[in-house]
Amino acid sequence: MQKTALAIDDLTLQAGDREVLNGFSLQLEAAGRLSLTGRSGCGKSTLLRALLGFVPPIRGSIRIFDQELTEDSCWQLRTRMAYVDQEPDLGEGTVDAFLARQFQYRHNRHLRYNLSRLPELFDRLLLPASLGSKELPTLSGGEKQRLALIAALLLERDILLLDEATAALDSEAAGAVFDLLDNYRQTTILAVVHDPFRAAAFGRIVDLGRPQRGEAG
Amino acid sequence: MSTIDIGTGNLALAYLLLALPLALMLWLRLPLISETLIAALRMTLQLLFVGFYLQWIFALNSLPATGLWILMMLLVADLAIIRGANLRFRAIAGPVFVALLIGTLLPLLFFLLIILARPEAMAAQYVIPICGMILGNCLRADIIGIRTFYEALRREEKSYLYSLAQGAMRQEALQPFTRKAFQAAMQPTVSSMATIGLVALPGMMTGVILGGGDPMTAIKYQLAIMIAIYAGTALTVISAIRLTAAGNISGRGRVVVAVFATDGKEGS
Repeated sequence: MQKTALAIDDLTLQAGDREVLNGFSLQLEAAGRLSLTGRSGCGKSTLLRALLGFVPPIRGSIRIFDQELTEDSCWQLRTRMAYVDQEPDLGEGTVDAFLARQFQYRHNRHLRYNLSRLPELFDRLLLPASLGSKELPTLSGGEKQRLALIAALLLERDILLLDEATAALDSEAAGAVFDLLDNYRQTTILAVVHDPFRAAAFGRIVDLGRPQRGEAG
Repeated sequence: MSTIDIGTGNLALAYLLLALPLALMLWLRLPLISETLIAALRMTLQLLFVGFYLQWIFALNSLPATGLWILMMLLVADLAIIRGANLRFRAIAGPVFVALLIGTLLPLLFFLLIILARPEAMAAQYVIPICGMILGNCLRADIIGIRTFYEALRREEKSYLYSLAQGAMRQEALQPFTRKAFQAAMQPTVSSMATIGLVALPGMMTGVILGGGDPMTAIKYQLAIMIAIYAGTALTVISAIRLTAAGNISGRGRVVVAVFATDGKEGS
């Protein structure tokens, strides 16, 4: 029997001074893959931030592995998810320091040995091994995205939330990312994908731009 | 006490000295003249008021009266911090007051009860000036500390939320901001400690010397007060950050926008 990783029910969110999603519902089984598409401003990024517990719903509910996402549960549920932003803000310091930082958090300490997988992941994502000693502000957008993805994968979370995680990559590097993600068959992945071909190849497509149930039109 | 008093007429002569900078400003056409005059007037009135009040309070020398005066100094400092840090009164006034209380009273009591360790040290004449010196420095440090903290959090909110998304607990995600703010707030005190006495004689020393004290006594007072100030600023800054953060970070870990006095974007 399949477990449900993500159950969104009748969800409406606030984005700035607008309401988005307007009664959106979605189910995603564990280890499932889903591409979110839709015109800009329809609430894709807001939805991912809501799944991380940063945006409280105006209406409706979010359940993650059968647990309702609330002010109290979001702290524990965040440790079951990893997130890659379209323009990651990785802070200052060197690449090595950035990758080590997340393992200083109490919830992640037991995973610090995963850092030994860095050479392999760098290689898979076409990043030079010398990148480790570089300062973060000197990196390109594409390098930052791939680093954020590596950081996310090292955390071995059950759910991966990708917000246009390949937007700044050329097609070769983007291809490398999707090839790598293919190996993570146990991970539930929810990805905002712009390119319709990639979206179709990646998994079930959900268009957030379409009027949802309960919305006129 | 062998301090020479200044007669009223002689003090009036001191104001003649103001003519010199005012003439320079006139010559350079600087729009600072009215500002200088207002500042000079305010200074005169405030100090006269404090002078009369302190005369009365020293003569009275009762602990409740001294305590009330300290309470008033704390409240004035609290307001000055909120204005200086550009944050909202309702969001931080309470926690900042407690932070000032901690940062001022602990070193003050240590100074009076353990360093001076004499019953006379509880006299208003000791308590009020020493308290004022510690509090003044706490005020300056708190402004820098919480201002740096909240400005950085607002500017780098994305990086802060990213730490939370990576599984950081609230304190873990706030740690880099706390460090940055604490360092910025402590830096001036450290710098002044390192150069003290080389350039100008510090205020407290000058006071003890003018009061007829031995220079060595003056130095010992100065050393003790510097350490008290250092400890006090450290205590008050860390308390101000932690206590205000407790009420201004939401249950989900986000910074509550209402803490800021001015909106980062449009509207309010």
